[in-house]
Amino acid sequence: MTSTQNVRIPTDGAADGAVAATSRWRSFSRTLGVVWSNGKARVGIVILGLFVLVAIFAPLLAPYDPKDTSFDRNLDATGAHWLGTTAAGEDVLSQLIFGARISILVGLAAGVLSTLIAVAIGLSWGYLKGFASEVVGFIVNLFLVIPGLPLMIVIAAYLQNGGILMIIAVIVVTGWAWGARVLRSQTQSLRGRDFVTAAQFSGERAPRIVFREILPNMTSLIVGSLFGAATAAILAEAGLEFLGLGDSSIVSWGTMLYWAQNSNALLTGQWALLFAPGLCIALLALSLTLINFGVDAVSNPRLRDGKATK
Amino acid sequence: MTSTNPKRDRADGDVLLDVRDLSVIYESAGAAPVQAVDDVSFTLKRGEFVGLVGESGSGKSTLGFALTRLQKPPARTNGGNIFFDGSDIRELDTETLRTQRQGGFAMVLQSGMNALNPVRTIRNHFMDIFRAHGHVAKADREARAAELVRKVELDPSVLARYPGELSGGMRQRVSIALALSLEPQLMVFDEPTTALDVLVQHAVMDTIQSLQASENFTAILISHDLGIVLEATQRVLVMHEGRIVEDGASRDILERPQDDYTRMLLSHYADPRAEVVELPGFPARRSGAEPGTTRPRAEAGDAAVVTRSVRSADSAIVVDGVSKVYPPPRRGEKPVRALDDVSFTLEPGQSLALVGASGSGKSTLAKLITGIEKPTQGDVRFGDVDVTRLRAKGLRDLRSNVQMVFQDPYSALNPLHTVEYTLSRPIRNMTDLRGDDARARLHDLLTTVGLTPTETFAQKLPHQLSGGQRQRVVIARALASDPQVLIADEPVSMLDVSLRAGVLALLEDLREKWGVSLLYITHDLLSARLVTDDIMVLHDGKVVERGVTSEVLRNPQDEYTVRLLDAVPNPRRLREDVA
Repeated sequence: MTSTQNVRIPTDGAADGAVAATSRWRSFSRTLGVVWSNGKARVGIVILGLFVLVAIFAPLLAPYDPKDTSFDRNLDATGAHWLGTTAAGEDVLSQLIFGARISILVGLAAGVLSTLIAVAIGLSWGYLKGFASEVVGFIVNLFLVIPGLPLMIVIAAYLQNGGILMIIAVIVVTGWAWGARVLRSQTQSLRGRDFVTAAQFSGERAPRIVFREILPNMTSLIVGSLFGAATAAILAEAGLEFLGLGDSSIVSWGTMLYWAQNSNALLTGQWALLFAPGLCIALLALSLTLINFGVDAVSNPRLRDGKATK
Repeated sequence: MTSTNPKRDRADGDVLLDVRDLSVIYESAGAAPVQAVDDVSFTLKRGEFVGLVGESGSGKSTLGFALTRLQKPPARTNGGNIFFDGSDIRELDTETLRTQRQGGFAMVLQSGMNALNPVRTIRNHFMDIFRAHGHVAKADREARAAELVRKVELDPSVLARYPGELSGGMRQRVSIALALSLEPQLMVFDEPTTALDVLVQHAVMDTIQSLQASENFTAILISHDLGIVLEATQRVLVMHEGRIVEDGASRDILERPQDDYTRMLLSHYADPRAEVVELPGFPARRSGAEPGTTRPRAEAGDAAVVTRSVRSADSAIVVDGVSKVYPPPRRGEKPVRALDDVSFTLEPGQSLALVGASGSGKSTLAKLITGIEKPTQGDVRFGDVDVTRLRAKGLRDLRSNVQMVFQDPYSALNPLHTVEYTLSRPIRNMTDLRGDDARARLHDLLTTVGLTPTETFAQKLPHQLSGGQRQRVVIARALASDPQVLIADEPVSMLDVSLRAGVLALLEDLREKWGVSLLYITHDLLSARLVTDDIMVLHDGKVVERGVTSEVLRNPQDEYTVRLLDAVPNPRRLREDVA
């Protein structure tokens, strides 16, 4: 057996030998290539990339401190203040640039957390049969039928002034159910496949079958669900802030809208105060949705070659 | 033959389809282009019935799709011409293409039975076509639809029904009738019977043959099964790796095959009823009547003890008076009785064939034995263990002794795991081997199933393996826990003919060397004859016949067994009929 000594065989349950790791990396980069080759997704990636760069380098890019109230109030766009100043005398452009941080942070954190919950619940719900499945189904349906925004408002009002963490928590609690439902139906179709039965015959236990056999086969669906959840989180965060349910002292696009509304920006002719953060929210949500077109092409190859040849 | 049919005589020499140097290429983004059809030329005379045979990946379906202009990207015709009735169909624009489907060419697909719209009645389907082409006067449409349905041997009452209310065979007949409704000059049948049950397959093929004779359309029958094609058609084109390697009259191909590939395909057919059955890679199997040819049971048992000294005693599987009733599929219907009072014993080292058409309950029986489902009545025992009462832990123990080989090697392996991972899991879960021992075991398994060099194969992902290699991995996984019983559910039905013999020989070999007992579930009596000693024929959940395989197949007593035997495609039977 000397010839086989140099071959690594997993004995601890981890399957990634050196060769498997490289092939996994190769398939990952191929997947990225598929997403990039989709025109819509490319636009989305570029927009998202710009926002991320702006958020990271906000202190370098912003001309002033966003909370500096020392400027003249309600200024129109000038050379010193490209988008004017607020009713409190802050620079709008600086606020806009720093606001990107909050939106991206909340979108990422709330999106990832609610997707994690959706994966855990959706997959076990799809794999289970009988009474347990009914119980999970009841809970998920409960969250689905309660209207999201009112529930968010109630929870947010109850946890007064919890700041950004509270907002993330509220979005996660109200946002996981839809993803769980989508992932469950895919799990149900995969659990009928022979390789799942074969894993049972190999002596695997249920959690391992769910997370090692089934889960890797739905990666693109989970990524799609992540982008969807992040989009919803960004919109929900802006909505809650706009309604004044968050911490109105932090600088985010939502609070900018809140203050602009409070100071009747439209009546004073300062449309940029409402328009700029609104456009940014829309663009960020749009970029994630566009990326999802590319992710769809990963899970459904027919969407890739459709237009290439006649 | 031509002189018997005046219609065909007149048409003789009249070329309907002329394919010249046709090439079709698949160009997917991010993958090397594949030349699926490579420089193919042939002509078809009016009224001819031609078979197009090849194994999977030979380009036969691609060619069929190119001929009817139904191909979709990434496939692209990159050379040659297709002249249909004098005009090049590659030049047609989409509207001319649509209108010429009436009186032009039509295609019947393998999944044609799933091509019917579930929310529209069969009558609606016919009316849609008549309306789109307007070739039947409004008043005559109803009568015409009834006539067409009768042509495919269905009762006109099916017109009022929905696709979901018809069986697979009936739906495939409807889709043939729909294709006929446009009075095509050329019909392309792409594996029209592959998705159907064996017995139904036979009946549908008969219908196609008699229709072709009575309607006198030109037809191409695409199939992977040389047996079926030789029985049905007058001329056969054999396709291999995108090229046509042989083109000749059916009789000539059968008696004087010119190409090695054709010879190889032909060599895999045999009559399960014959005295001696021989396939490439298999020792000749004689009938049990001759002394010393059936394997003595005791010998197999001995071998088991020698190679598997680890285990103390082998246990038999005892199925005792088992019935299984499923709840009715729809309200108001009767419950489905899948199994009815079935009893048998699978002794250690024995190989038993479980034979029947789909719906006969053979797969249900496999589920009961492996504890996936519980019987409604009766007992399933493995040694002292009552399989019907096992919970999760007990089932895991049972499965280290009773393992399963799946029908479809393409779905039985997780596409994301390497062979090494797939095989290492049962070794870890069901044996005490760890580290170097487990590694050695893994390579032993791969050697046993003939996947050498083992280092290379261990690192492969399923999509890098052929169907036959995948099925070998599935078998290796089943062997990993050193089971006493192997349940093989149609293990070769999804494989190409040329790969079947290899997998069957492997199963046979394992039984001899490892002393595994084998429950071989199949509808294919030829393979049952090759790998099993005993046979049990199931029909509608009841055992209708049982005994020594060779004797049952040579002198079948039950009418159902005879029908199954007749459904085995066998080109040589044709030769005997003629002689």
